[in-house]
Amino acid sequence: MDNLQERLRHIRGSAAEKRHNARTVAALTSNPGCARRAVLDAAGVDKDRLARHVGFPAKFGQSQFAITRGNAFEAQVKANGYAELLRLLRETLGLEIREVGSTNLEDVGGNTGQEVRHARSRQKLTSAAADPNAAATFYDHPLLRLDVGGSRVYLEPDLVAFHHDGVFHVVEIKSFAVIDNQADARKVAAAATQSAVYVLALRRLLGDDKVAHEVVLVCPKDFSNQPVATKVDVRKQLIVLNHQLSRLTRIESLVEALPPTLTLDLAPDDDGKFSRPAAEVIAALGEIEARYAPGCLATCEMAFFCRQEASGCTATLGLSVREELGGVETVAEALGLADGILVEGDDQAEVAAMLRTTARIFGSVAA
Amino acid sequence: MVFRVTSAAEALERRIDELRTAVRKAVTAGERERAMALRGALRRAEREWEDALDELADQPAVLVPRQAGPLLPLREQVHQALTLLGSPAAPKLIIAVHEAFHVGEMVPARLTSLRRDEERSFRSSPHSRPYYLCSALTADLLAPARGLLAVSTWPMALRVIGPLSPRVDFLNSAIRLAEHLDRIPEPGPTARRLLWRFAANIPGGAASADAMTPTVVAQAAEAELKIHRDADRSHREAAAKRARQLPDVEQLFGNRLRSISATGT
Amino acid sequence: MSAVSSYAKALAVAAGRAVPIATRRHVYLSDRPLVFVPLALAGEANAPLAAMIGTSPHDPYMLLVPQPRNRDLRFGFAASLAEVVLAYVRSCTARFEVVGTDRLFLDAPQLLVPNAAGLGFVKLLGRSTRFRRTNGPYPVPAGVPLLGRWLTHLGERSEHPGSSAMLAMTQTLSAHWASGQSAVEDANLAALLGWIDPPEGVCGSEAALAAEDPLVWPPAGPSTDPAFDNEVLAPAIRAYQSATPDSPKRRRAVETLERELRGQMEPTWRLMWHAIKVLRRLPAAETVETRWTADRRDFSRYHDYLSTDGRPQARRDGAVAAARRLQSLEREQTTFDAARALDDPLVMASYRVTGEAFQGTVVSVDRNRRILSERGRRVTRPKVVVGTGDPVHLPVGESLRAPQRIKQNARITEIARSADGVLVTLELDGGMGRAAVPAPGSVPEVGDEITYTSVYPDAIRSPDLPPTDQTPWTHGGPPRPYVPTDDDAREAWE
Repeated sequence: MDNLQERLRHIRGSAAEKRHNARTVAALTSNPGCARRAVLDAAGVDKDRLARHVGFPAKFGQSQFAITRGNAFEAQVKANGYAELLRLLRETLGLEIREVGSTNLEDVGGNTGQEVRHARSRQKLTSAAADPNAAATFYDHPLLRLDVGGSRVYLEPDLVAFHHDGVFHVVEIKSFAVIDNQADARKVAAAATQSAVYVLALRRLLGDDKVAHEVVLVCPKDFSNQPVATKVDVRKQLIVLNHQLSRLTRIESLVEALPPTLTLDLAPDDDGKFSRPAAEVIAALGEIEARYAPGCLATCEMAFFCRQEASGCTATLGLSVREELGGVETVAEALGLADGILVEGDDQAEVAAMLRTTARIFGSVAA
Repeated sequence: MVFRVTSAAEALERRIDELRTAVRKAVTAGERERAMALRGALRRAEREWEDALDELADQPAVLVPRQAGPLLPLREQVHQALTLLGSPAAPKLIIAVHEAFHVGEMVPARLTSLRRDEERSFRSSPHSRPYYLCSALTADLLAPARGLLAVSTWPMALRVIGPLSPRVDFLNSAIRLAEHLDRIPEPGPTARRLLWRFAANIPGGAASADAMTPTVVAQAAEAELKIHRDADRSHREAAAKRARQLPDVEQLFGNRLRSISATGT
Repeated sequence: MSAVSSYAKALAVAAGRAVPIATRRHVYLSDRPLVFVPLALAGEANAPLAAMIGTSPHDPYMLLVPQPRNRDLRFGFAASLAEVVLAYVRSCTARFEVVGTDRLFLDAPQLLVPNAAGLGFVKLLGRSTRFRRTNGPYPVPAGVPLLGRWLTHLGERSEHPGSSAMLAMTQTLSAHWASGQSAVEDANLAALLGWIDPPEGVCGSEAALAAEDPLVWPPAGPSTDPAFDNEVLAPAIRAYQSATPDSPKRRRAVETLERELRGQMEPTWRLMWHAIKVLRRLPAAETVETRWTADRRDFSRYHDYLSTDGRPQARRDGAVAAARRLQSLEREQTTFDAARALDDPLVMASYRVTGEAFQGTVVSVDRNRRILSERGRRVTRPKVVVGTGDPVHLPVGESLRAPQRIKQNARITEIARSADGVLVTLELDGGMGRAAVPAPGSVPEVGDEITYTSVYPDAIRSPDLPPTDQTPWTHGGPPRPYVPTDDDAREAWE
C-alpha cells in the first residue's frame, strides 16, 4: 500500500519522522493490542511532544549519572584493544587465540551518516559471513537496519562478535550489576528483548543460521567495575518479536479505518511554537483507539493522557484486577452488576453472580 | 563552620535557588527551550556567586605547601608516556602510564584538545618542531583512528591501525611496561596495578595480582604476539605504503578531504 | 489480588477514596520503630547518596555522601549509619526475660522503609558491607561489618510473611486499604497515602494525582528524580569535587548538597510518620503479638549468635537449603493468611467468596447428642445446622473451625442446598469440657451468627521453632560451615 506511507505521513504532519531504536521496537511487544501506539509509532510521531501539547507531559528522563556510568563501563570493557572483552569472550564463546581482529563501524572515516554507516556495516558483515577466514572477530557498533511496519529503523548494538565456526553473537554491555550471580530480573528481561531485536535484524541480513540465538550480556560484577559475561538465550523473545512484527502489517487495516483527513500535525509557526489547538489534537487522537494499561506508564510517553482518558475503566486498575472483576469494561458497570442495579447481558450471568456475591459478602462485613 | 557572607552573595544564592526550581519545573513540564534559557541564566548566576565567594573567602594564614606543578609541559609528558608504551595509545592509558612512573598530575581535559592543537601548530609551521603528537590512521580509509595518539617520529607502519593492531599494540605495550618495571628500582603499587591491568587480560599473564612478575607477563605477551605479528605487519605495511602517498599533514593527522562529517539523513 | 480486594478497588474508584480491606492491623508496630529513608545514586549497584533515619518524627539523623563514587566517603556513610543502627539494636537489648535456658529480649528492632525498593536497598547495603574487614589491606571503619550482618538479617526476616522486623510502608498500607489506582501506582507512597488519608477538602484521587509531581513530592527513593539529578545534584557534586579540601567553596558545596538532599527526603520522612499514624488507628489483630514474639525470639537468637560466632551470612544458599527455605516460606504464607482471616472478618470475606468459609445463622442445635466412638466409648458430639447465603464449596467430611471457637472441630456431615441458601450440618468435637454434658456456652446456640472456615493454621499458639540442632544458621542455630575467604574482603582493582 503506497498509499499507506502517504497516509502515515499525513497523520504525522509537518514534523520530521521520529527515529526508532531497539528500545522502541522492543516496546512494541509490551502492548501489541494498542492501535494508537501502533499508528503513532508507524507514522513516526514524536509522542513526547504530542503528550506535552495535549497537556500530559511524560515524566521520563534519564539521570546523567546512569548515562555516564553506562558509557564509562562500556569504554572500560572495550579499552586497550578490547582487552577485557576479549578475555571474557574467549571464555564465554570459546574464541581461538588468533581471533582478535576488530573493525570499528562507529563512523566511516569520520562520516557518521546513517546510510553510509549502514552500507559499510552491511558490507563488512556479509563479507565476513561469506569468507570467515578473512573476517574480523569484533564488529564495534555496527549499524543495522530493520523494516518495522513499513518504516526503516536503524539499530546499533554495542558489539557483534564473529566466531570461527561462522556464527555471529550479539554482545550487549549493560551497567546494571550482577550480584552473587543474580541480576535484577526486569533489567535482564529488558536487555534480552532489546538484544533479540538486534539478533532479528542481523538474521534478516545474514540468514538465521549465521546468527546465534544466544546473546552475551556483559555487566559489572558485584559492587565493582569488573565485568562478567553471561550467555542469554533469547529464542522466546525472538518468537514474540517475530509475531508482533508480523502483526504490524495490519497497520494497513488500522489506518484504513481512520478518517482520511486525520492528522496529528501540531502546526508549528515561524517561531516553532505549536499553533494547533490542543482540543483539536485531542479530538484527532480520540479517533485512534487506545488500550491503556498501567504498564504503559513506564514505557509510553502518551500514558498519562491515555490514563486520564480511561478513567473509570477497570483497565486503569490493572489486568489482574480487571479479570477478577469478570473482565467488565468500566468500574460503574462492575459496581452496577454487583449491586443488582444493572441488568446483566446474556453472556454475563456468571460474572454478575460472582460480583453480586462479592458485593453482598463484603457489604455484610464492611457495614 | 561559619564564614562571612555578604548580602550580595546571599541574594545570588536566592536567585540561584529560584532559577534551579524554575529549570526543574520546565524540564518536568517538558518545556525544553525554556529550560535551556533558564539554565543559561542559572550558570551565569552560579559563576557570579562563585566570584563573589572567592572575593570574600577568609583564607586562614596557614602555610600550604605549594603543589608541585608539572615538571614538563603536557606535550612532553605525553611524548614520554607514548615513548615508553611504544605504540599508539588512548588518553586514559597515557594518563595511567604517566601516573605510574612520573611525578605530577596530567589533566585529562587538556588531553582531548591536544591533537587538535598539534595539528594547528603543524599547519601553521610544518615540521618546525622535533616531534608532533599526532593521530594513528585506520588502515582501510586512512582516517584518524578514534581516540588514539601517536608520535610523528614513529615509522608510518607503526602509525597505522589494521584489524589486529589494537591487540598487537596492547601486547607490545605490556612487554614494554614489564621491561620498564624490571629496570626501575622501586616500581610502586600504581605501576604494579597498571601492569596487572595488562597481565589479567593476557593468557598466562599472571595467576593473581600478588603473584604477578614482569618477566612472566612479558613472556606471556610475547607468546600471543607471535601468533598475530606477521599478519598484523603485512596489513600495516600495505596501509603504510598507501599512506605515504598522502600529503604530509594527512599522514600525521588523517585523511580529512574525504571525511565529511554529515549530520546524517 | 482477590475478588474482594479487586471489588474494593472498584469501590474506591467510585468513592474517590481508599476502601479498607482490613478491620485490624495485621502487623506489629513498635513504639520506637527505626524509620529509614535512603537515597542512592543512579546507575550504580548500590551507591548510597543520602539517608534520613530516626526513631521519632523530630530531629532525624541525616547522612550524606558528597561524592558517592569515592570509596572512603561511601564507607564513611556506612560507618555513620552503623552508629545509628547498632545503637538502636543495642537499645532493644535493654530488657529481657529468661525462658528455659534462653534469653528472650522484650523488644526487637523494627526497620521501616518507604517501599519495596527500599527493602532491596537495605539488603544490598547489607551485602556490600557484611564481608568487609576492619583490618587488612582494605579496612573499613569499625561497625561496618556488623551493620552489614544486621541489615542482611533484617532483609532475610522481611521475606517471612508475618514478620514485622522490617516493613515497606507501601506494602503494609496496601495490605490494609484498597486504593482506586493500580498496584504499579500504589508503589508511590505519596499517591497511596493520598488515596488513604487525603488532606481536608481534597478527594483521594486528586491527592494521588498531585503526588505525582516530583517537584512537590520528590520520589520516596532510593531512586532520585532524574531532573533533580541533572539540574541540581550533578552540578553540586561537581562543585564539591572541583573545590580544594577545606576551602569555602567545598564547604558551600556540602551545604548545598545537604540542603537539597534534605529537601528530597523530608517530604517522604513526613509521609512515613503519617503512614505510621494512620496504621496505629487500626486496632491490632489478635495474633500480632504472637508473631512479634517470634520476631523477638529470632532477634534474641541472632544477637547471641553474633556475640559468640559472628561469621557473616554466606553469599547464597545451596540448592537444597534454597528449596527447603522456599517451602517453609510458602507454609508461613499459608499460616499467616489463615491467621489474618481468623482475626479479621473483612479478610475472612475473601474465603467466603471462594466458598472455603461461610458465615450464617445457627438454625438448630442438638446439644446433648452422644455417640459411640471408634473405641466403643460414649462421647459428646453435638450437631448444629447453620443456614447461610454464602456459596459453600466444601465437601462433606471437611473439618472446619470457627474463629471464636478455634479449638472446636466442626466436621461437615450434610449439605442441603435450596433456592433460599445452604444448610450445613456440622458435628462438633472438642472445647466442651470433660463432663457428659457440654459446658455452658461451649456450643453455639440457635440464632447465633457464626463463621466457619476450612482454612486455619495447625498450631495457633506460638509458632513452634525447629529443634536447635536443626535451626538454620539464619536463626542463630549451628551455622553451616561458611568460612569467609580473602576474596570476600578484597577490594576489586579497577
